Amino acid sequence: MAPGVPRMRLLRWLALPVVLVPLAWLLFTGLGTDPRVLPSPLVGKPMPAIAGMTLDGGTFSSAALLGKPAIVNFWASYCIPSCVDEHPFLLDLAARHGSELGMVGVLVNDTLDGARGFLDRYGQVSWPTVLNADSGISIDYGVTGPPETFFVDARGFVVARHVGPLTQAVLDDELAAIGIAP
Amino acid sequence: MRRLALPVAVAAVLALGGLVALELLRPAAPVTQAEEARGIAGELRCPDCQALSVAESQTASAAAIRREIVGQLAAGRTIDQVRAYFVARYGDWILLAPSTPLVWWLPALALVAGVGLLAWWLRRGRGESGPSVQAPARDIRAQIGEEVEQLDA
Repeated sequence: MAPGVPRMRLLRWLALPVVLVPLAWLLFTGLGTDPRVLPSPLVGKPMPAIAGMTLDGGTFSSAALLGKPAIVNFWASYCIPSCVDEHPFLLDLAARHGSELGMVGVLVNDTLDGARGFLDRYGQVSWPTVLNADSGISIDYGVTGPPETFFVDARGFVVARHVGPLTQAVLDDELAAIGIAP
Repeated sequence: MRRLALPVAVAAVLALGGLVALELLRPAAPVTQAEEARGIAGELRCPDCQALSVAESQTASAAAIRREIVGQLAAGRTIDQVRAYFVARYGDWILLAPSTPLVWWLPALALVAGVGLLAWWLRRGRGESGPSVQAPARDIRAQIGEEVEQLDA
């Protein structure tokens, strides 16, 4: 047998793991990925400005949020049960951290009557809700559908985005990231 | 016949290259702004529906994105700038087609690599398992010759 043959055989057997191991790793890590988690390109960047009419007839500008951590919550009255599920957490959040945390809601493709009916039924809120009639704010934030919540630090930079209803575990994690002790 | 193979192959490659060049260099038909807007909307994923483009969907979000596309084109932005505007907000997720053309070539590359690997494997296997016939060594041939001569004698 020529001296090169054992080396070729060794290379052939080495080629299998070299190809198969990365492929298996790629597929295996893909299995563990949550398809609902969508990374937002806004994370690490200044929050897009929010301005407009509010549900109670006033006006709102995100300039009012600067200087303290804030959350921007996209919601709608038709978003059931997710928006209903997270509503008590938002009410509790405002009650416990209202003075140190800025909060603003943004309606997503909803009617005034629908939104007001939702609050009548599930609890009035102390923070403003911007109407977002032309969906411009939804586009600026890359919102895929309510509920979605953006966590913003005191400098006005987006720290995290959560797609889906808020839970206590999510709030504990993300509030700590923007400097609010849960 | 074999002498003709190379010129025919070269001529075929040149003809194919010429056709591709013609197709690439052909001036594109003028496109209206509405057609451009439809084209971009067809490339973007509807944010709140499944497996539909912004052009196909009837949701309010898709309609808002279509309005934004039209507004941006009217303001003088290019197709690439409008596309980049949405990618900056939604991420690459918003694009229905991958942004890098390399991805389209990967299946073809994998196929070529697989065929090449299979051919190499088969050739090696045939080389190893086939009958190995070795010419008899010169001294053995000489010995056989002597024995035959003895038998004839």
